[in-house]
Amino acid sequence: MKGVREGAAGTWLLGGIAAACIAIMLGLLVFTLGMGLASLWPARVERIELRDGAVLLGEIVATDATSLVMRGDEAERIGGGYRRVRRADIRARDVPVDAVVLQLGDGRRRFAVGETPAELAQAHLMTEVLRPNAMGPFERTGVFLRHLFAFVTTPPDASNLSGGVLPALIGTVTLVLLMSVLVMPLGIATAVYLHQRRGPGMRIVRAAIDTLAGVPAIVYGVLGLGLFVHGVGGGIDRWFYPDRLPMPTFGSGGLLWAALTLALLTLPVVVVSVEQGLARIPAGLRTGSLALGATREETLWRLLLPAARPAVLTGLIMAISRAAGSVAPLMLVGMVKLAPASPLDGAFPYVHPSRQFMHLGFAVYDAALASPDAIRGVPRAYACAMLLVSVVIVLNLSAILLRNRLRDRYRALET
Amino acid sequence: MPVNPVTCDSILSSDLVCASLRRRHRHARAANLLVGAGTALVLVGLLAIPLYLVSALGSSHAATPVDWTRLGVLFAGSLRATACAMAVALPLGIATAMFNAHLCAPRLRAWLKPALEVLDAIPSVVFGLVAAVSFAPWLKTHVASMLAFVVALPCVLLACGFAFGASSRRDGWLPLWLLPLVVATAALVFALASQREVAMLQPSSPWNAMLVGLALGVAALPLVFSVAEDALFLVPHSHAQAAFALGATRWQALTTVILPAAGSGLFAAALLGFMRCFGETMIVLMASGNTAIAGFDPLSGLRSLGADIALGMPDAAPASAAWRDLLIAALVLLALNMLFGVTAQLVRERLRRRMPSETVA
Repeated sequence: MKGVREGAAGTWLLGGIAAACIAIMLGLLVFTLGMGLASLWPARVERIELRDGAVLLGEIVATDATSLVMRGDEAERIGGGYRRVRRADIRARDVPVDAVVLQLGDGRRRFAVGETPAELAQAHLMTEVLRPNAMGPFERTGVFLRHLFAFVTTPPDASNLSGGVLPALIGTVTLVLLMSVLVMPLGIATAVYLHQRRGPGMRIVRAAIDTLAGVPAIVYGVLGLGLFVHGVGGGIDRWFYPDRLPMPTFGSGGLLWAALTLALLTLPVVVVSVEQGLARIPAGLRTGSLALGATREETLWRLLLPAARPAVLTGLIMAISRAAGSVAPLMLVGMVKLAPASPLDGAFPYVHPSRQFMHLGFAVYDAALASPDAIRGVPRAYACAMLLVSVVIVLNLSAILLRNRLRDRYRALET
Repeated sequence: MPVNPVTCDSILSSDLVCASLRRRHRHARAANLLVGAGTALVLVGLLAIPLYLVSALGSSHAATPVDWTRLGVLFAGSLRATACAMAVALPLGIATAMFNAHLCAPRLRAWLKPALEVLDAIPSVVFGLVAAVSFAPWLKTHVASMLAFVVALPCVLLACGFAFGASSRRDGWLPLWLLPLVVATAALVFALASQREVAMLQPSSPWNAMLVGLALGVAALPLVFSVAEDALFLVPHSHAQAAFALGATRWQALTTVILPAAGSGLFAAALLGFMRCFGETMIVLMASGNTAIAGFDPLSGLRSLGADIALGMPDAAPASAAWRDLLIAALVLLALNMLFGVTAQLVRERLRRRMPSETVA
């Protein structure tokens, strides 16, 4: 039975590779989410006594075989308290129960043992006082949840190195909503056109959508910058805001141009999803409606489109998930590290399409590779990535559930 | 749609019905107009990309000549990153697709495929983050162990399969059973090999083509898997049953009947994976070091076309020479992707037409 043995070996090889793929993907996911969550967990405060008599108090932020890096008291400026300590120099190391961590409004962290120092206790800048070493697991979890909540609901502090990511979240959501408003009517119209028509027009539209679905996102960014920002935006500035030139109004990257660029980028996703939804509606429904005297258009608007509603929703969700994760084109059309003003505020007209904005995906890139304080930047990048990944996964899972519901509904219609 | 005079006059002669019918047809015309206008707008928007690039290049009057050598190095960089990525994505993706399409237990298949498709949606900036920040320092000192693992894993799997494997119904759940074996092999190889690093395999920088290839390959894996799985699953089950009737095992049916029949689909999967990797920007931008180094060394850094656009375009003045060179880079990306995309589309269409329609799930 030589063939059987060979077959078993081959099957094990394929199965093992499939297992490796599962392991890689799960590992990546767990690693990202874990690092993101760990960055919000309250760290222990350690006290290190060196051989030369000095005593250091702070959090251990990095370790390797021969040394460790400690973030100590930042008395003067943020990022000023790091100290690399060789393991050989350490005489004693302990975790003082009464250690205090003070988080100041400008991002600095101060450490003390015993009572909260008087000059700090009065500082109005103080945002949080913790005694992490004295906390039990439940209290720690409570603090962790509070950090998580604060991370999504507060703006970053003045240094942009710590604090929340609210502006980036608002920027991302506003951008995605504006994009949806632009892309959905156009996408549905195109899908209806493809569904209704036969002939050269339909073939051209289909070819254009198929071909451009695979165009790299960065090329859309080039179009956004060259055509929308410099071409159209510059033109608007010359015609309507000549008094403000050379300060650009619409002629620099902004929310509107970014939303337009993303709308183009996500258009094929919407069209394909809606068209598939329309195509899968049982033919009996359509012919029945026509037999009862409805016109083709009435059948479409009153019957087919409502029946395909889950497909429309699936398309919207897929588009949002794609748009929320695409960073490269946005780097060209109006995303900034720290926006001077939110694109969404209380002043009329509430949404300001010409303003620059912050974005969660760009915050990941920026905090990871362009942060002035890498030891703070990397955990922050992971926290942003965790947020981004959870949003995208929730969106995609709901799209899958919707697709399954749609399939069940059609099956029910057919029987 | 024109009003039908016969219907209106003879059958429904009441004025009320006539007016209502006329109104309904007016609505229909308006709806059609709306749909047509929307589609036209979409077409204009999509065609604007190539038209804009070509016209902007045509009207560019920058005095300095185009720096073709630099563009060539960038192109080679993109190609090197893509080649490394395909070396990861193709074997993993196609092997997983082969298992999933024809050997997998139906219940496992029902969640494995959607799970990998959800992973396709993970933003590339996250892959870039993990690769550039966490994986790069580790890989710098573990290149030899990585290569050892790549060789050891198939050997271990084949040997174990030959020794303990027996074709049975439970083979469909193999990926879950083999998960501990794979993890144990990885742990063993990395524990054994990390002591003996080979000097020749020391990368000059932690951000090199191998790192980019691994990150990009894993990112492109779900796409390659998905397309390849579709192609393999599309092969009618009757093909496999005919092979079984002639005495073939599942493995023989898969390798001798199904694989050749799905060949062009696998080719399309490779093309689409190549496209995805060649145009990818964020991963390469974060993990490649962004120094324009020519050559074929997978252990040196690179700079790709997409990363060059992302880094250079925001600062380049419109109509300058740098701007024009970046436009050329974008045009190269666009042209190559359109070429590959159309080819992949044609190949898939041909496959779909050749397969009997009853199997299209």
